[in-house]
Amino acid sequence: MTQTMELGNLQKPGLGPKLKAFVRRRTEGRAVILLAVISLVVVFYEPLVFTAYPVTLGRIALIGLVALGLTAVILMGELDLSVASTLAASGVIVAVIPDLRIAIPVALLTGIAVGIVNAFFVAIVGIASFIATLGMLFGLSGLAFVLSGEVPVNLQNQDAGILFSQPVLGPLTPRILLFLLVFIALQLFVTRMKAGREFFAVGGNRQAAYDSGIPVKRRIFTGFIISGFVSALAGVIYTLTLTTASPDAGSNVLLSSFAAAIIGGNYLKGGKGSIVGTLLGATALGMLQTTFLMSGIQVPVQNTLIGAILLLAVITDPTSLRALIEKLRSALSKRAKVAPS
Amino acid sequence: MAKESLTEQIALTEVVAQEAPKKTSGVGLWLTQNGVFLFLVVLAVFAAFFVNGFGSLDNVTNILNRAVPLGIVAVGMTFVVISGNYLDLSVVAQVATSGVIFLAVGSEYGLGVAALAATGAAILYGLVNGLAVGLFKANAVIVTLATTYIGLGLLRYFSGGSIFFGPPDGPMDVFGSGKVGPVPYSAFVFLGLTLVLSLVLTRTNFGFLVKSFGVNERATRLGGVNTDMVIVGAFLVTALAAMIAGFVFAAFSNTAVSTMAQGFDFKALGAIIIGGTSVFGGRGSVLRTLLGVIFVSVLDNVLTLLGFTFGFQQLALGVLILLAVTLDVLSRKLGQQ
Repeated sequence: MTQTMELGNLQKPGLGPKLKAFVRRRTEGRAVILLAVISLVVVFYEPLVFTAYPVTLGRIALIGLVALGLTAVILMGELDLSVASTLAASGVIVAVIPDLRIAIPVALLTGIAVGIVNAFFVAIVGIASFIATLGMLFGLSGLAFVLSGEVPVNLQNQDAGILFSQPVLGPLTPRILLFLLVFIALQLFVTRMKAGREFFAVGGNRQAAYDSGIPVKRRIFTGFIISGFVSALAGVIYTLTLTTASPDAGSNVLLSSFAAAIIGGNYLKGGKGSIVGTLLGATALGMLQTTFLMSGIQVPVQNTLIGAILLLAVITDPTSLRALIEKLRSALSKRAKVAPS
Repeated sequence: MAKESLTEQIALTEVVAQEAPKKTSGVGLWLTQNGVFLFLVVLAVFAAFFVNGFGSLDNVTNILNRAVPLGIVAVGMTFVVISGNYLDLSVVAQVATSGVIFLAVGSEYGLGVAALAATGAAILYGLVNGLAVGLFKANAVIVTLATTYIGLGLLRYFSGGSIFFGPPDGPMDVFGSGKVGPVPYSAFVFLGLTLVLSLVLTRTNFGFLVKSFGVNERATRLGGVNTDMVIVGAFLVTALAAMIAGFVFAAFSNTAVSTMAQGFDFKALGAIIIGGTSVFGGRGSVLRTLLGVIFVSVLDNVLTLLGFTFGFQQLALGVLILLAVTLDVLSRKLGQQ
């Protein structure tokens, strides 16, 4: 971010302040930096990540889809922990119902229903979102285990699964295309539509949003429904790709999707962030994971590194840094005051 | 001195203002706040009459053995919850780290060294979590999610993912399998720790600050308290309790593996919330958590005896958490009327 800002200073006056303001307004700085660093490292050490780009893209789609839905909720300053088991439950539903024409709509409707229940507890009952969705995380994970009989279920229609993994447009498989579709839809929704832009208002200052006539409760419903629907979609895609559904499928999804959204610069307190940021974060993480995969780094080490990146991302959040700087400043001034006496 | 007493007064007025029970809606308020007592009694009576084998001494020992490690984690985590920082997900990693250290290091260099190493690891966990949440003001859910993966990843890397066995009849095994009547030794550890932590929360300055921080962070800070250190303290208490839980858990089966504590994070939080400690912070007690742990453990046991599988237990816990939090919100609304 600092680099870009310096660049802004070099520009002619007039454009400089504009660029500076633009950079300051954007929240994707850290995602850009991380992506740049990872790209550089990858180019030199594991160029396979670029040459075998269908694999990398598939990985990015896997991580990113859930993260995109999650972003809609995070923009409003809420969390949705239930995404992990929504993915597992909808995945199991697709595998359990033999006819895919019925199974896929049922799975997607489940996602929407989960979103409605989550939003009901958050907006109507007034429970903190992390705890309401935690209840759902548990409940749905239980449901996934019950429906699947506690064992992985094979997809009945294996042909559909195989067909689903074939590229349809150049190297792009339906999975990647769906991910891009969701990205474009959400990006347009959040930046171009009234309802989407209201997400920022709800997240920035809920009382002000309420006072200015924004239907806050309805927006919370919209956000959780988006998140539920998208993670159900991810579950459907997951099962179709693997042609099998495991009730504990979502166990690693929570870490990677939250990491992608937070690295992407979405403030957990809400009001600031972007869908593009999440895409960048997911891209960085996806490339990182593919690099790990190809250079044979053990899974525990991978998890440690991704955990460390998430920790770093969450403590280098601008609000965190500002809090820290203020604290240091007040500590220094206190010492200065004490010293003369 | 003067500053401290001022702090206390500010915090005290806050606590009193929030906690003072309004006498207007007696029965409803009491029910919403203490419903878990009723549920527990109903459940126990039902189980004693209708569930085969629930009342047997073996089963009581079984319930206790399962409840104790979870309970120790939960009473520790109560501090983090009361301080208004939601939860500590990384207990999963903490318990496993401690268990593996006690068996792997303990059988090699003796229990003393192992205890030192485990304590060191616990302090490290507590410091990282506490500083990230307290000093950097980062979201506790995300921070502890990250430290869970860091911790578990390191543990799996260094342990090679293998299962560690303690020597049969070693000190761990003797402790783990020993019992007085139907009550295992570890239950006494749990009870002792619960009492100590309960006293810390209600009788010490630190406990008082944890509570007042949960009620009103800003007022506590403005009162001149170093609030960051209060948060670090709360996470340290959780980490040390998780360390003891790891010891007890590893001793019970005389084995330890990096996945041993899976599900402890949410289950402990479930017990805390069902016990009646508010997730909004500020309200709750260690003894309530004890009750919540007993309730969750009895429920699990009854469901298992009735032949319900893991999935149904998970489902029941999810519904219970939602129910308990809804009750919490209702009691707040009733209390405000």
